[in-house]
Amino acid sequence: MMEKLSQQSGTREKFISAANRQKISVNKCVNCGHLMLETILYCEKCSGSKFEDVELEGKGTVVTYTIQAVAPEGFEDAGSYAWVVFKVENAQLRASGFLPGIHTPQELPIGTRVRVTGFDAKHGLMLSK
Amino acid sequence: MTEKVCVLGAGSTKYGKLNESIIEIALSAAKDAIESAGITPKDIQAGYISNVFGVADKQVHMAPVIMSNLGISHVPGLTIESACGSGSVMFREAYANVAAGFYDCLLALGVEKVTHTGTAHSTTLFSYCSDFFYEGGNGASFPGLFASMARAYLTTHKATEEDLANVAVKNHENGVLNPKAHVRKKITVDDVMKSAVVASPLKLLDCCPFSDGASATILCSEEFAKKSGRPYVEVIGSGRGASPAAVQGREDITTIPSTVAAARQAYKMAGLSPKDIDFAEVHDCFTIAEIIDIEDLGFFPKGKAAHAVRDGATRLRGEIPINPSGGLKSKGHPIGATGVGQVVEVFDQFTGKAGERTVQNAEIALTHNFGATGASAAVHIFRKVDRK
Repeated sequence: MMEKLSQQSGTREKFISAANRQKISVNKCVNCGHLMLETILYCEKCSGSKFEDVELEGKGTVVTYTIQAVAPEGFEDAGSYAWVVFKVENAQLRASGFLPGIHTPQELPIGTRVRVTGFDAKHGLMLSK
Repeated sequence: MTEKVCVLGAGSTKYGKLNESIIEIALSAAKDAIESAGITPKDIQAGYISNVFGVADKQVHMAPVIMSNLGISHVPGLTIESACGSGSVMFREAYANVAAGFYDCLLALGVEKVTHTGTAHSTTLFSYCSDFFYEGGNGASFPGLFASMARAYLTTHKATEEDLANVAVKNHENGVLNPKAHVRKKITVDDVMKSAVVASPLKLLDCCPFSDGASATILCSEEFAKKSGRPYVEVIGSGRGASPAAVQGREDITTIPSTVAAARQAYKMAGLSPKDIDFAEVHDCFTIAEIIDIEDLGFFPKGKAAHAVRDGATRLRGEIPINPSGGLKSKGHPIGATGVGQVVEVFDQFTGKAGERTVQNAEIALTHNFGATGASAAVHIFRKVDRK
């Protein structure tokens, strides 16, 4: 059985809260302007630690994905779905999430537009087309 | 670094579904390595152990338990975890400690036992090696993560699913010649293509099995090796690399930065280039991984590996044999042991113990092993020592 995750707090809680408002919470480095997902504590480019909080629209385009024919534990009841890596709109940034209702590759060409619909305690970052 | 480091002995259990406890499996490989080196446990000054899921067989803090059962409880041990790359990462640390002169002789051993937990739970355990908040927690299994890399590769480089299948066919061809391999069965491209889809575009026969097993090596200084009067292999290059833990963090999903960095360091240290390598053991947890590996290691230009595999360049008698042992795909993947098992294969190849799968006239070999989807990696280069 999949064990329960510990309660998410701090940066993850902030990321989840934004996702539930259909946003993606990111850190913008005050020093160099680099954008990173909320959960990264130091700038990947300059190691700066001062950030401006930014919320991007939870929209993007599919970069790659898989359709999980064999669902891992905890996802057996999810029906056919895709795990998707997507490029966030208006940012050089990628995120990944759970896209239900996908049965075949024909339903999800690379470049398909997706949007964040929320964060589910069981299935993570929820997406829809 | 001042000391030259050598592999004086090596041993492995069979890889597969094993009935013994994780400690018994580890001790079996340790005994083989000790006897292969012609030493006794009293010669061992430290024990380096790699393992990921000892907790699944009710044993963590494994190094002291192994040392105690070898009758050398006074010898310090250390257990190292780096997901599927644990073995090579541990080997690197063991190597560095001999090179730095801290020890003249040590045991470097990897072990894993997971098959008793069942496929579903093993899949769950492996998913904990991902960046779980973004990957496993969003429904991606390990086959799923590599499937996403495969889709990116196939889209970018116009390769086909049949090209991926060729990797599996070749590695099974080699694994049939390895008596310790987990899956000793020849397969065809058609078999792979008709096997059940696990995570599209990857099918069951694109995936390595879950395996139990242990592999061990005796590492020592050159002086110690020479005094032994026995055959040995010299470690001439060692490199480590890292990548963003989550696939989403990589600018190019068709390459693994940790492999590129580790290889660059190892080649530089050895004073060699990819064309000098006579064969390589690489991390083929999934068929797409081997395609990406052999490009990142510099054996083929980006986007060309699939064609090279199709043309037979990586077969046992090809221009650069890849995974003569059968690789993770056929030999098996006991994740804590895999990186050490690759070194055992090099030792066996260079000391006349590889039988029918011997790579003819080989003198330089490379091992490559990574953790998770390549978040951590290590590359080592070895030289056959002619003792005539």
